[in-house]
Amino acid sequence: MLTIGKVAARANVTPDALRYYEREGLIKPAAKTNSGYRLYDADQVQRLHFIKQAQECGFTLHEIRQLLETRSRQSACCGDVRRLTIEKKLQLEAKIKTMRAMSRTLDGLIADCANEARPVDDCPILAGLEAPLRG
Amino acid sequence: MKLELFFAAGCASCDAARDGLKAAATQAASDLVWRDVNVLDELDYAVELGVLTLPAIAIDGELVFSSLPTPQQLRAALTRRNVTEK
Repeated sequence: MLTIGKVAARANVTPDALRYYEREGLIKPAAKTNSGYRLYDADQVQRLHFIKQAQECGFTLHEIRQLLETRSRQSACCGDVRRLTIEKKLQLEAKIKTMRAMSRTLDGLIADCANEARPVDDCPILAGLEAPLRG
Repeated sequence: MKLELFFAAGCASCDAARDGLKAAATQAASDLVWRDVNVLDELDYAVELGVLTLPAIAIDGELVFSSLPTPQQLRAALTRRNVTEK
């Protein structure tokens, strides 16, 4: 059994993060000592790695809970997990699309300001940001 | 009128509901063209329409249902569009 500090260090998270995951219902200690210290076993360590990996793939804690619930549901199949993963990909692609559009807008603003020696009152970037939105 | 069902291969709920929805849709719009879209084959198109959850249904290039409707809901949506177009 491992203490919260040791488990957290192994997974490269803070003990506070681990307590937060517990409050969010993602993980709970295998036991507590008489003095109330949390203890974790190998299953919890593995579960923590799962949470971390899923976060790195962009899943929110709410979605990770869905994945964990799906995993423990007898009637669930891999297709359910696959659908959640495809939905996450769709969300990421939508964000990427939005960010590309933002980046293109910035390109335009940068190109508008070819003379960086201009006084700030005459800055085309600030003027561009003030301009009414184009419908 | 064009209806596109966005799905992920292996989606059990899509397979189960497809036939009932297709029948309802054809009944509501005789000129209906039904297209099954595997979202992984046309990801950019799905993102363009705003599909974020599966299955989803777009009618004439507009996302109308972000989860599977009942046949009645689909029929109502198609009928509304038919009336607006006429």
